[in-house]
Amino acid sequence: MAGADSPSAALRRRDLCARGIRLAGKMRSDVVDLLDAYVEQQGLDASASVAAVEGVPPAAVERWDEQTGTQRLLENLAAYRAFRGLLAQMLEEQREQLGEADAALGRALAAVLLQVSAFAYHLEELLRLESRGPPTDEGDGPPPQPQSVFEQKLRGLGVLRELAQWAVRSARDLRQLAKPGPGAGSAPSPAESP
Amino acid sequence: MANPVPSACCMVLAAVVVVYAQRHSQPDSHTQFERVGADVTMKCGSMDWDAAVTWTVNGTDIDESHLNGSYLILKNVDLSQSGQYSCYEGSAWHLKYQTTLKVGTPPREPVLMCRSNNYPKGFYCSWHLPTPTYIPNIFNISVIHGTKEMVCEKDAVPKNRCHIRYLQLFSTVKYKVTLTVTNALGKNYTTVTFDEFAIVKPDPPESVVAKPVPNNPRRLEVSWQNPSSWPDPESFPLKFFLRYRPLILDQWQHVELSDGTSHTITDAYAGKEYIIQVAAKDNDIGTWSDWSVAVHATPWTEEPKHLTTEAQITETTSASTSSFMAPPTTKICDKGAVVGSGAVAVCWTAGLVVAAYSALFI
Repeated sequence: MAGADSPSAALRRRDLCARGIRLAGKMRSDVVDLLDAYVEQQGLDASASVAAVEGVPPAAVERWDEQTGTQRLLENLAAYRAFRGLLAQMLEEQREQLGEADAALGRALAAVLLQVSAFAYHLEELLRLESRGPPTDEGDGPPPQPQSVFEQKLRGLGVLRELAQWAVRSARDLRQLAKPGPGAGSAPSPAESP
Repeated sequence: MANPVPSACCMVLAAVVVVYAQRHSQPDSHTQFERVGADVTMKCGSMDWDAAVTWTVNGTDIDESHLNGSYLILKNVDLSQSGQYSCYEGSAWHLKYQTTLKVGTPPREPVLMCRSNNYPKGFYCSWHLPTPTYIPNIFNISVIHGTKEMVCEKDAVPKNRCHIRYLQLFSTVKYKVTLTVTNALGKNYTTVTFDEFAIVKPDPPESVVAKPVPNNPRRLEVSWQNPSSWPDPESFPLKFFLRYRPLILDQWQHVELSDGTSHTITDAYAGKEYIIQVAAKDNDIGTWSDWSVAVHATPWTEEPKHLTTEAQITETTSASTSSFMAPPTTKICDKGAVVGSGAVAVCWTAGLVVAAYSALFI
């Protein structure tokens, strides 16, 4: 297996990053459209502030430019694995609440869930290339269940907003990773996420 | 025993100094701010109402009709009445009171805008008053992100601007910026709230150049550079929007370009001068920049044909009086029709034939 810094590995990394950037861009575009539909369908105020929701990984980061490539990949992977669970839960809730009444929203949610899963897999590939291998996806169990329908709706809003931010951040992270030169992905790694 | 004469002299001298000081001492200087349209009453310091005084403004006497006793009454003041007002006692002209009157208005709600033209480094906020107050104003700005108060560092130039470094990126938490303006006559404020992505707006592209393409009458090559204020175009690439039109038309053509800093226009009207501009936007977030400085260019055109040979032939044929009209030699000698080295010989031959015919019929 080629070392992480070999020319073929570098080419493979650039290729994976380029595809990942395109995937992140498409995902963001679809999430933004889904967000608009969700707000309208759920009767929410698009400008409503939603406090940090338990279980939703925040995209906000300090000293973003100082992160190593491995840190970026690990944080991204942890986030998208969490979003996978959250979106699956939203899909279930949406089906319970509305049944077939809004199949379009259900389909859009399912499509985004698929993209999130694909992106998580993409990140795992990149981590394998870093000779690290992705951490096992033990997860923290199912996301916490909101108490009321209204809380479910607000949480859904928070999930989609944060996912849209992550899609932008991921594209930026992958561009950093794709930059030639040392340290793009080989710096000392932080403790693995569970 | 001390000599009494010097002591007496000292006492007299001291008395003279005191009297002189009393006559020429400057009263405390005051400044007072009044609203446009207000009625202003100025007292002559501690002088009684019925004291005989003279008021001046900027050294010019004020007519007694404006006095009520020793008080100066100014009704419905306007901006032109700002100035230094002085009150003198009686005919001795002792200055008893002085004040600078500044007529102005309380501030209206200020206009505030924030923008990031150097993402992801930070953003700046700038402000102005919609109408002047004519008196000094103090501006205070506060920036809050979630529960954190951030410091907005004032720029030296321009004075109505400050900048903030991002402490976090990719946050969904909105920023809340409040600007308060205060002057002696009142205060006002405004608040803007925005998220990190919404205010990203690069500066326009720089060094836009448009050139004709040789031997291509419908092409123009346009190139430009990223704005120098954009700190990291590699990690935060820009996309571009190019617009162009011939000067003689009003309608623009548009092209959006997702990468690269050059483009070839291939559908220009031959021979027409074009005006071209470019705008920039972050690939993922924010809004388009303003348009760049406009550049002008005209596509390449073929040079006009050289007329020397044709003119000479025309002169030769017109010298004769015959009615014979020489056949046009243009096509044969046409540069465009010339193919290979034999073409020059053909031209000369044709010329000689024509000359010979002309000579026969003279």
